[in-house]
Amino acid sequence: MKASGAFRERLFGAWVEIRENLGRSVLQALGVLLGVASVLGGFSISDSQRKRADEMFVKMGGLDKLNVQPRAAIKDGRPTALQQANLGLRDADAVGGEALQSDAIQGVSRQKNTRSRVVSAYADQDRQVSGIGGDFIPANGYGIAQGRGFSNMEMEIGAPVVVLGTEAANTFFPKGDALGQSMRIGDIPVTVIGTFQERVFRFRENQGNQFWWRNRIIAVPANLVQRRMNGDAYRRVDRVTFRIPDLNAMSGFAQQLKNLVKSNHRLQEDFRLDDVAARVRRRQSQGSVYDIIFMLSGVLALVGGGIVNVNIQMASLKERVREVGVKMAIGASGREIFKGFMTEALLLTALGGFAGLVLGIGFSWIITASIGIPLYMTPASFVWAYGLAAAFGFLFALYPAWKASRLSPMEALRYE
Amino acid sequence: MNPIIQTVGLTKVYGANGAAVHALRGIDLTVEKGEFVALIGPSGSGKSTLMAILGCLDLPTEGTYTLDGRQVQGLAGGELARIRNEKVGFVFQSYNLLPKASIVRNVELPMLYAGVGRKERRERALALLEKVGIADKADKLPATLSGGQKQRVAVARALANEPALLLADEPTGALDSKTGAEVLDLFRELHSQGNTLLLVTHDPSIAALAERRVEIRDGLIAVTEGVA
Repeated sequence: MKASGAFRERLFGAWVEIRENLGRSVLQALGVLLGVASVLGGFSISDSQRKRADEMFVKMGGLDKLNVQPRAAIKDGRPTALQQANLGLRDADAVGGEALQSDAIQGVSRQKNTRSRVVSAYADQDRQVSGIGGDFIPANGYGIAQGRGFSNMEMEIGAPVVVLGTEAANTFFPKGDALGQSMRIGDIPVTVIGTFQERVFRFRENQGNQFWWRNRIIAVPANLVQRRMNGDAYRRVDRVTFRIPDLNAMSGFAQQLKNLVKSNHRLQEDFRLDDVAARVRRRQSQGSVYDIIFMLSGVLALVGGGIVNVNIQMASLKERVREVGVKMAIGASGREIFKGFMTEALLLTALGGFAGLVLGIGFSWIITASIGIPLYMTPASFVWAYGLAAAFGFLFALYPAWKASRLSPMEALRYE
Repeated sequence: MNPIIQTVGLTKVYGANGAAVHALRGIDLTVEKGEFVALIGPSGSGKSTLMAILGCLDLPTEGTYTLDGRQVQGLAGGELARIRNEKVGFVFQSYNLLPKASIVRNVELPMLYAGVGRKERRERALALLEKVGIADKADKLPATLSGGQKQRVAVARALANEPALLLADEPTGALDSKTGAEVLDLFRELHSQGNTLLLVTHDPSIAALAERRVEIRDGLIAVTEGVA
């Protein structure tokens, strides 16, 4: 059978049929087209949005962070003696955590913040001051624009040095000559040794900078805050961050860390773990809800189109009964007739689906451009859109083709 | 030698019980290889039904039918299609060409169903068109041809798989007398080449061309003239 090119002939016949009945064929293809376009468009818009959000997380400093932050152990009333004796999150937790799985941990940073009066020759403001330790600067996606970051020595001794974000530098040194100048944080004179690069991230092109607050940073060594500003004998910190690039090791480590810190804290859970990757996973599972919604709307369009197609096919079958009869008289089996009708429907689906992909691309492009995010399309979306169309095209072609194949040749020949 | 057509007690009943219509009431017909038989009878006589059964378009209610050595009664649709394809060539009053396919594709179609290769199919189709005298129209669509030419195409198509039986149902019914005569000449020529012909007509002058005339009346063979 293969050498006879029967498939080729059927395809040719189907093409002739489509071309001869252009209006009807276009109507039939339209349902497929809209379905494919809506699945592809929906997926692509949701992918673009998600990709943009992922980019934001990467710019924030990656997905490999596990944050430990203090949490109020007392919800109501006065603290018990045990709770009062609880020491809070402190340097020891960071050191202990690091010792747990030292090979998995790529870096530990800690933060001890304070609010303080910050004074330079140009400005005098009440500002948040970030005491930072460890590899805070790279871990949070900061880069040094001018000057340098803190040396280990400065970190260790809590040297009175400061690195400013762009907004802070502009506020306190509007002439742009911050480097080397001195300013006062609380009562402590500090020297500006560097400035950070500006942090910019816009979710949409015409939106405000989501990272504007990161440019307000006034960073000093954490030890400086702990020792000379608002620290205490227990060396409590506001946040400890572990970087664990191997995301598989993350959850095991988180559990170990939780146990360790809890035992250090006299079994009080006065801290919480915040796993950025888990947050992203949660967000992705939210995204898949949207995917399902988009898929559903596409499927509904395809089902609607499919039902219309069945109607059109059944109506057109009436015009073609005689043709079927002639084919049967000269030796076409019911199977052959079935294949012929299927080929026609599937060719139409293929063409409509292809047009739908083109429309879907255009559609996604317009939507993403209008909300100002870059268009991002994955091959999987194309496969889904086309695959669904093909599946439904096949399904809805079955009935009319079966009906045609069941015609009695004699009655079909006599049909006027 | 086996006859091409042999029917014994062929009956056909349409409908059921109360409303049953007996189109055929017991036809015993034998057609030998190379015969030219005319099937005549008024409308409603059952000749169309008989032709449909002889052409394997329909199955008899009772009786046996053997076509070129094959038992036909009781076969499934797919088997019948195969027999139609291989053993029967139809020529209809209204030509019944596929309007959207070119002449040569129309002639190729039975061979396509028979699984003949593309190249051979084309060669044989062109040879057949040559034989019926319209090779120059091979790439035209049926609508561009005259009635006589269309019927020639239909004949070429009917001959495509070298059938054991050529069935013609009022082949000149839609043609004027001149082109009708030309088509009949073609049939005579085919007969002289050894083809077995069964011609259904109501026109006695056309029936006169056949070697044998079988008249059907009320579902039975009324008269047989000529050599059996």
